[in-house]
Amino acid sequence: MNCQQFQETLPYIIESGGGDEDESHLRTCPACASLVQDLRYIAEQAKLLLPMHDPNPRVWDNIEQSLHREGLLSEGRMSPPGHTKKNSTSQTQAKSWTPLGWIVAIAAMVLFAVVLINYKPKQLPQGELSAQNSTAEPTPFNSDDRQLISQLSQESPDARSAYESSLRDVNSYISDAQKAAEHDPQDAAAQELLQDAYQQKEMLYQMATARSLP
Amino acid sequence: MNNRTQTASRARHAFLLATLASLIVTATTAAAQTSESRKDAKIDIVPGGALNIVNGSGSVTLHSNSGHQVLVTYVVHSEKVEVDQNASSNKQRVELRTHALPGQKPTADEARVDYDITVPAGVAVNVSTTSATITADGLSGDIGLSSETGQLTVRNVAKSYVHVRSMTAPVSLTNVSLTHTDIQSSGGAVQLNNVTGQRVSVGTTTGNIEYRGDCSGGGNYLLTTHSGAIDVTLPPTASVDLSARSTNGTVENAFPLQQKSHTSFVPQQGRSFAGTSNSGSSSVQLQSFSGKIRVNKQ
Repeated sequence: MNCQQFQETLPYIIESGGGDEDESHLRTCPACASLVQDLRYIAEQAKLLLPMHDPNPRVWDNIEQSLHREGLLSEGRMSPPGHTKKNSTSQTQAKSWTPLGWIVAIAAMVLFAVVLINYKPKQLPQGELSAQNSTAEPTPFNSDDRQLISQLSQESPDARSAYESSLRDVNSYISDAQKAAEHDPQDAAAQELLQDAYQQKEMLYQMATARSLP
Repeated sequence: MNNRTQTASRARHAFLLATLASLIVTATTAAAQTSESRKDAKIDIVPGGALNIVNGSGSVTLHSNSGHQVLVTYVVHSEKVEVDQNASSNKQRVELRTHALPGQKPTADEARVDYDITVPAGVAVNVSTTSATITADGLSGDIGLSSETGQLTVRNVAKSYVHVRSMTAPVSLTNVSLTHTDIQSSGGAVQLNNVTGQRVSVGTTTGNIEYRGDCSGGGNYLLTTHSGAIDVTLPPTASVDLSARSTNGTVENAFPLQQKSHTSFVPQQGRSFAGTSNSGSSSVQLQSFSGKIRVNKQ
């Protein structure tokens, strides 16, 4: 199981704890382990926003009335099935859950759901996220780089940050050398810088590839 | 009185014996826990053969010797790794490879293996490590060294080809003469002391480059970096045709150079300079994108 497959089953994992295969992936992938830890923490905190018992039916009336007053809801849309509307004077009997409190709680739940669906940890390999997040900010890595970093994350997580940093540096080198060479195509020194930059990158790829050999 | 003296003496003996026994048990237990084992091997190799070594962490130390055998001593620091020795039937190629045993996931410390290897003259050596340091002293065959983070040291080498690759590992070459030297280092600093040859090429991305020597031999010396600094110190006797350019960084020259009447670029104050000293027999090119270049007089 790779990181992408793992992330597709995230909601199930958060709800039920996941299966053996998920557990196995978690043991070998610090990035996903960190992600699950973060999401579980969010889920735990979100539970604190929810009531521990069913609210009084009057609470629904209050929410509905508030939404009507704000013009956010048309007549008869809110009340749950079987729920009888009460007089608005019962508003004072809702002691612990005011309409505003409920709106905040619902908003928090919606927010949590949005976070759960869209949450993307920074340390996850960009390559695995690009398919889901095509509008993400441009990164200093091309698709080959992202694939390499993703591979390292799985096979040698401890080496990942060093390679990531080195790739970022060498990409910056290539970019600068390209600009210099384009600025003056007759400049042999600029061409040599560009060639050297590519050699540096080639070296990093060879080293990273050698890691994965048996 | 005598009885009391004898009793005290026996007590002292008993105490000493108990202490000694305790020390022996402790030492034995520690030895068992580290599972350190040392092995020796002698492997035949023909002149001009190749020795390949792969070792993740620990160290690899190489010396030169006469004869036709590779003499290997290695210390393994845990039972989770082992060393495979392979030799081709024609004795052209010898390989030493450290690897984890199936099902084992040794820590960096447990994966350490320290090699001490004597190499016959003229045998090419290729060493690849992750964090293990590599030291090559006095070898006469071609040398290829590669490490991500382990210090790379080459000393007392002549008339060969030296190829070094490093990710962040520091690289040091001392007394390397008449040799084709090619060093690529992403972030590791490179130090060259008395390194000469027909071609001496160093390229880094962020690593600093330091050269001390006379650039003799009428060779091409090319030191290139993106953002590292280049520091060159030459003796007054150095015979060089030198150019230094930093696209966005600065250059400083404290070495007496005669200005050239013609250069391939227009010298720019503080960004580039060029000149010759003595007969200008060796070409020295120093290039940086944003790093600082300094040329000093020894």
